[in-house]
Amino acid sequence: MDSVKKSWVFRITIAWFALIVFFAIFGPWLPLPKWDQVFDDALSVTPFKQGHLLGTDSNGYDIFSGIIYGARISLFISFTAVFVGGTIGSAIGITAAYVRGKFDYVVSTLFNVVLSIPNLVLSLALIAVLATNVDPNVPTSTGRRIMVLVISLTIVIIPILGRIARAATLSWSNREFVLAARSMGSKDRNIIWRHIVPNVLPAIFAVAFLAIGVVIVAEASLSLLGAGVPDGTSWGSMVARGRNDIEFAPHIIIIPLMCIAFTVIACNYIGDVIRKQLDQRQAKL
Amino acid sequence: MTTTFDGNTAHLRPADQTLLQIKDLVVEFDLGGGRVVKAVSNVSLDLVEGETLSIVGESGCGKSTLGKAILQLPAPTSGSIVFQGTDITKLSKKDLRNVRPAMQMIFQDPVSSLDPRFPVSRAVEEPLKIWNRGNEIERSAKVDELLNSVGLDPALVRDRRPYEFSGGQCQRISIARALALEPKLLICDEPVSALDVSVQAQILNLLQDMKEAYGLTLIFISHDLSVVKAVSTRIMVMYLGKICEIATPDELYSRPLHHYTSALVGSVPVPDPERKVSATLLEGEPPSPLDPPSGCRFRTRCPAATELCATEEPMLRLAADGHYVACHHPRA
Amino acid sequence: MLKLENLEISFATNRGSLHAVKGVTLDIAAGESIGIVGESGSGKTVLSRASMGLLAPTATRTGTVTFDGKEISSLSRDEVRETWGTGMAMIFQDPMTALNPVRRVGSQIMEGLTVRLGMSKADARKRAIELLGRVRIPDPEQALKKFPGQLSGGMRQRVMIAIALACNPKLLFADEPTTALDVTVQAQILQLLSELRKELNMSMVLVTHDLGVVAGHTDKIAVMYAGEVVEYATTKDLFARMRMPYTEALMKSIPRLSTPSGSRLPVIEGRLPDPTKPEPGCLFASRCPYAQEKCRTQHPDLTTDSDGHQYRCFFPLGAAQ
Ligand SMILES: Nc1ncnc2c1ncn2[C@@H]1O[C@H](COP(=O)(O)OP(=O)(O)OP(=O)(O)O)[C@@H](O)[C@H]1O
Ligand SMILES: Nc1ncnc2c1ncn2[C@@H]1O[C@H](COP(=O)(O)OP(=O)(O)OP(=O)(O)O)[C@@H](O)[C@H]1O
Ligand code: SF4
Ligand code: SF4
Ligand SMILES: [Mg+2]
Ligand SMILES: [Mg+2]
Repeated sequence: MDSVKKSWVFRITIAWFALIVFFAIFGPWLPLPKWDQVFDDALSVTPFKQGHLLGTDSNGYDIFSGIIYGARISLFISFTAVFVGGTIGSAIGITAAYVRGKFDYVVSTLFNVVLSIPNLVLSLALIAVLATNVDPNVPTSTGRRIMVLVISLTIVIIPILGRIARAATLSWSNREFVLAARSMGSKDRNIIWRHIVPNVLPAIFAVAFLAIGVVIVAEASLSLLGAGVPDGTSWGSMVARGRNDIEFAPHIIIIPLMCIAFTVIACNYIGDVIRKQLDQRQAKL
Repeated sequence: MTTTFDGNTAHLRPADQTLLQIKDLVVEFDLGGGRVVKAVSNVSLDLVEGETLSIVGESGCGKSTLGKAILQLPAPTSGSIVFQGTDITKLSKKDLRNVRPAMQMIFQDPVSSLDPRFPVSRAVEEPLKIWNRGNEIERSAKVDELLNSVGLDPALVRDRRPYEFSGGQCQRISIARALALEPKLLICDEPVSALDVSVQAQILNLLQDMKEAYGLTLIFISHDLSVVKAVSTRIMVMYLGKICEIATPDELYSRPLHHYTSALVGSVPVPDPERKVSATLLEGEPPSPLDPPSGCRFRTRCPAATELCATEEPMLRLAADGHYVACHHPRA
Repeated sequence: MLKLENLEISFATNRGSLHAVKGVTLDIAAGESIGIVGESGSGKTVLSRASMGLLAPTATRTGTVTFDGKEISSLSRDEVRETWGTGMAMIFQDPMTALNPVRRVGSQIMEGLTVRLGMSKADARKRAIELLGRVRIPDPEQALKKFPGQLSGGMRQRVMIAIALACNPKLLFADEPTTALDVTVQAQILQLLSELRKELNMSMVLVTHDLGVVAGHTDKIAVMYAGEVVEYATTKDLFARMRMPYTEALMKSIPRLSTPSGSRLPVIEGRLPDPTKPEPGCLFASRCPYAQEKCRTQHPDLTTDSDGHQYRCFFPLGAAQ
């Protein structure tokens, strides 16, 4: 672990994470223009010009502000989806693997079915169902769209992490210490909490970080397809808005794309580090 | 002829004298697709308080399964298990839980029977915590006492985790844990197989002491016939899920009646490089528990097998005082 | 074949450095079989794991391990992995933790065969069935489809043995390979190992605490105590003329068929010294019936007598007083 902590890749990764989380939380209180404040005199300005750190887009929005406000929505959506989906998925996966039998059969079949549908298709379908209003003339509110987005991505995450949790639980609940705990009179609830959950948690965490990356990309893809957050901004919707300017002002989409890429790579890297720790721990056992 | 319900119970003693009486226990594992592993078939046995019953037999013959079934882990397919006067196969989940502290088991695989995240002190304390025995300080003192009695220095081991220990050290930790609740019945599944001889002797003596101190009754599953001889009051030999022979140790070793027992006794390795034991190797392939042979299950490898052995299952019957054997043509 | 020189291994623990193996020098020739016996916790497993390059990350190692002329620590991870299976193989002490509980037995045996030996799936399957048959698992074809949790303790151990033997290793570490086996199967497995040794000229390190097992199946025996080799001699010589008080104590505590039932077994009083605290004298001094003043202050070196019998004691048995 110490050698990992000292490596500069690890430090940069952590620094990047800290930075975007800081922006996501404190963005609105920073002395910056609002993301949708229009600078009429500065359309598609390249970075470091006219007092705009990362330039502006063709609407005259400040890109730096956009990135910071966007971090808020992108991270909110992905963390919430992974946290909620992970919790629900793990609970289902662990219970199924612990009780086995019919319940387990039904759960694992369901997981497999859901996993066989491509992410995007699934969330698009869910959004289509959840976000349409009864009255087609009234557009759905931003809050509701975000909610729907989160819910659909959560549903995508449930089987991914659920399956990991189930597999990990299967490998642990076969160990004799679980039998031993039962023979001592431990209640099932306590066995799951004390013996199983702590042992499967690291495996779930490793995959959860990978899942955050998946969700950030999914959100961006949905924005490109026009199913993202309508007003309000996320990194994905910045890319979507800038896609027509790619020829004469490429920085408009390159900057948010790079943020997405860095964050996804950082998530994968952290996931990998956890995975390696896990393997080492397993090697010790 | 089919097995009758009370055909194999000749060796049982009156129920009111026994601590544990098992009748006609069957454990089967369904592998799906009509394949059923017959791990334990119609086994009956009983234990008087303070007694040590040893179970020996070929690897895979159902010893661990039998031990676990007594603790209802998992519950047997059929049969009755009467412990202290109540049939525990019929208890509700809650009542069963209340019986559990009185019956403990030391599991076969020492390392995997400890949670890798729990430091030793917590592992040994866990049963006390589950049952709210004593306060923090009393429990801690009890843990130290238990660790000491299995030959581990509490100050050195308390805060370490299982992966920092050798296999034998883990075994001692799980023995300490099993003794924590001061059970009446202790099922030891290969408790000393991972230990070197000197520690093994310590543990066996410890179990002997605990027997005297707490009136412990033991079921002792082991492969080491010399160890078994030293500790038991009765020995039961199993082959492929069935009982072959039951006798006192001296009787069994000096006069093995069943042909499997005699192969077993003849294969004990001797610490003497000049003596070769391979002469008594058991011939033939071990049969599958999915489809055990008809009649006597040992007949495919028995040197004395006859027609009768294939058609009729031998019942346990009295051969000499306290010596029961299930064989049509016992050795003279 | 395998050469250990002055091997020292310690683990970083939160109570300081734990010295598990101290200055071990051993030499194993092709086709030779060496037994390692010793008290539980004396470093037998750690020693064999170190020889395979399989230590936990908290361990530090000094001294050299040379296998087939190559120093193990100079090899890259991938090169070390190359030697596993075909060069060296290990039968692990804890089958349940060494086997993957969620993979079928068959795929775990076949993995080595397809990956290391490049066998086709069908060939690997055939070989796996043959191996399981040789380790006397009933109904090998069915057994391939089972998960480790569905096997008995002894069957798991035999699956481990089959995996270790799958790629015909040149050197086999057998760490307590028969603890979970009854004596009839044990005799068969030991015989199988002896046969393979002759057939393939395989070397073997047999780690066990069962002196009965090492007696019939090894050429030489190393007795370990508290991380040190305290006696090293040919098997015949060792049983005929042991020189270490510790070995004698060990022999005395073996229960024998002739021991009357219900009797107390002789034990070696006391316990292993704390491996985190170095002691100045003989490590066995606190438990040795022959200990004298010198033993508590000076550490005995490994001495070789005229027959090549090595021991680590100031007052060896059988010496003129
Ligand atoms: N959960 C299970 N599912 C399917 N079969 C099982 C299961 N547990 C045990 N078996 C089978 O039941 C039989 C008896 O196993 P058991 O573990 O009781 O043997 P054992 O006598 O303890 O052997 P050993 O001495 O090797 O530990 C074996 O054939 C084994 O494969
Ligand atoms: N990963 C580890 N971290 C810290 N200490 C360890 C580790 N592995 C082993 N040890 C310590 O090293 C010593 C030697 O252990 P080892 O497993 O080699 O014993 P052994 O001779 O194989 O005993 P047994 O016969 O009981 O298996 C023990 O004191 C043990 O506590
Ligand atoms: S009943 Fe027949 S086959 Fe079985 S042990 Fe006796 S002689 Fe052998
Ligand atoms: S050196 Fe002394 S204490 Fe050590 S084994 Fe020899 S006689 Fe005993
Ligand atoms: Mg068993
Ligand atoms: Mg060991």
